[in-house]
Amino acid sequence: MSPESLTPAELLQQRNRRTGLTIFQISWILVFVCLVIVNWQLRGNHPSWPPPGVKAPSALLPGLATLGLLASAWLARAATRSLAAGSRAAFRGQWRAALALGALFVLVIAYEWLSIPVSGIYSDVFRMMTAFHLLHALAIGLFMSMIARGVRAGRVSAQNLWPAEGATGLWYFVVVAWLLFFPVLYLI
Amino acid sequence: MATITATPGLGSRTTEGAAIRAADLLRWSLDHKVIGLQYMASSLFFFIVGGTMAMLIRWELLTPALDLMADGTQYNALMTIHGSVMIFLWIIPMMAGFGNYLVPLMLGAKDMAFPWLNAFAFWLIPPAGVLMIAGWLVGPPEAGWTSYPPLSTLFSPDGQTMWAMSLHLLGVSSILGAINFVVTIRNMRPAGMTIWKMPLFVWAVLATAIIQVLATPFLTGGLTLLILDRTAGTSFFDPGSGGDVLLWQNVFWFYSHPAVYIMILPGFGMVSEVLAVHARKPVFGYRAIGLSSMSIALVGFTVWAHHMFTSLQPALRIPFMITSMIIAVPTGIKIFSWLGTIWGGKIRFTAAMLFALGFITLFVFGGIGGIFLAAVPVDIHLHDTYFVVGHFHFVLFGGSVFLIFAGIYHWFPKMTGRRMNERLGQLHFVTTYIGTFFTFVPQHIAGALGLPRRVAMYDPAFTNINTVISLAAFLLGISSLIFMYNILRSLSHGERVGGNPWRGLTLEWATTSPPPPWNFRGDPVPFDDPYGYGSDESGPYLDAVERRFPAPEEAAGA
Repeated sequence: MSPESLTPAELLQQRNRRTGLTIFQISWILVFVCLVIVNWQLRGNHPSWPPPGVKAPSALLPGLATLGLLASAWLARAATRSLAAGSRAAFRGQWRAALALGALFVLVIAYEWLSIPVSGIYSDVFRMMTAFHLLHALAIGLFMSMIARGVRAGRVSAQNLWPAEGATGLWYFVVVAWLLFFPVLYLI
Repeated sequence: MATITATPGLGSRTTEGAAIRAADLLRWSLDHKVIGLQYMASSLFFFIVGGTMAMLIRWELLTPALDLMADGTQYNALMTIHGSVMIFLWIIPMMAGFGNYLVPLMLGAKDMAFPWLNAFAFWLIPPAGVLMIAGWLVGPPEAGWTSYPPLSTLFSPDGQTMWAMSLHLLGVSSILGAINFVVTIRNMRPAGMTIWKMPLFVWAVLATAIIQVLATPFLTGGLTLLILDRTAGTSFFDPGSGGDVLLWQNVFWFYSHPAVYIMILPGFGMVSEVLAVHARKPVFGYRAIGLSSMSIALVGFTVWAHHMFTSLQPALRIPFMITSMIIAVPTGIKIFSWLGTIWGGKIRFTAAMLFALGFITLFVFGGIGGIFLAAVPVDIHLHDTYFVVGHFHFVLFGGSVFLIFAGIYHWFPKMTGRRMNERLGQLHFVTTYIGTFFTFVPQHIAGALGLPRRVAMYDPAFTNINTVISLAAFLLGISSLIFMYNILRSLSHGERVGGNPWRGLTLEWATTSPPPPWNFRGDPVPFDDPYGYGSDESGPYLDAVERRFPAPEEAAGA
């Protein structure tokens, strides 16, 4: 829906929602920043990280999953734009692809969570961070699938775009949060 | 009963009347005024709960031996829940209550930006309170409000987990509330209400909300780890298994020192309003006060490790000492601005003004105690003594709580349409001031002499000073009863007032008392300078407001 067609009150509502979502994203991402700092402080107490005798997990599979997550965010963005332009068919395809890539990411990280050997503080931190992110990805992914149903039922449309726009914003959040975690968990 | 809808997203309001009934406080409501009063009523309830615990603590400490408690563990539990309730369920939500009630009114807005979110944020508080208190049923938390591991991980019963879950809920509530404040203040200002015309209370709420949005997530992170250590067998805070106890201290204080400003900054905003109105003087240094709130919010993020001087790497002590000292500068700017505001004013010694003036004297004293503790050598000597207890009670009770009292006396007429009893208010002030002084000054002395904090039994050499402290604390208890009686009595018997009983210039006074469902009938008419007391234009403006929103008797006779 173009801004010109909105009443001043609707424009204010849209502005409030966008500002609110941005502030929420900034605020909640700091929980992830906190966990990154936790990781740093804990690894600082050890002569090497992973601690001696513990094998670091391979970055290959989660690296590919990260690329898939990035692609899913791009697809979610494209889908929202398609919906705004009134093209529900394009939205459906792009949104489903975004959801599928998101689901794949969740499966890969869940596999990582399950397959990391128990090794004390290293696996504790690894599992805590991946689980914390997984919970967010699952919750927001579920919300995105509800948006798909909303579009099918006509509740979410070019005239009522905010649910899709908000869900996309939250999915960006999942991506940024993972981009904070991935290097700390797998690369550094 | 008609129902009207104002604007998309703001929900609907019944137009039954402006007055909010007690039963409304128990219902889900989207009206920011109801939500504000819900925060305030629940906070007052927890003030009574936490205050009763304080009385029990002081009873126990009347003599060096155990009197009331069966053992020190019971004392630890009492002191833990007292501190947690007073901070997280009394002062912080009470400040949120003032913000919810006043910010839209002061800005000339119909409501907060997200009314549903606003209500949701409030309704997280009652279950959090239940979790906190119900810990007693399963074994209460015993690790103090700071809950340092390993006390909180290895030695505290299951109530400690409930304590952490309670704080989790309160943290989420705090973040959601803060997002609402920032968006409301940024987006909901009507045309003409520039940031430099915002009342100083709104500035203070904005600074507070920024702190809440940026600091509370760290508490969330820390609490998550604490709960995992307690329930899932992880060892984040266990050095024996590769964890780190200082990790908690860093994360906790990165939130909890800024939380000190969450507890005081809204009060700083309130005192600016109260002083200007009751001294009939323009605020001295409006921009300096507004910007100093922002400076405090910013610098507040750089001082957390001064709580850890005794456990901190020595090389880091001096930088944190310097930042801790620096934060006194914007606070000092405020103090001088407030003194400049009342200087030469036509001061009315109302209960609100007395508490505002009392705050300045006590807060300067408490602040100087803070400078002592910011100095590394002094802090190392005073660490974990009653000096620390005296300091933070001085700034929290002499600071935040005095300002809450000032705010309640000042805005009670707006919220209820009735004035609180001034005689009782003055009696409340005198007893509170004396009680505060003689409770918390001797604690500084006892601490400097070496009395450790968080102990139920102490060296008999401290008996006399502890007796003085306890008797003064009981006086504080009595003063609080006077206050509660005054509130209850004034709700039904208080003198009825019109829209602007104090002749204030900020927008909340340019409407009925209490305000109608959407705050203003028609568009509010702001005065060009919200603190232009004594200007040629202010008199006619205030007269016009008084004619438009008269006291009910006058309205009936008109």
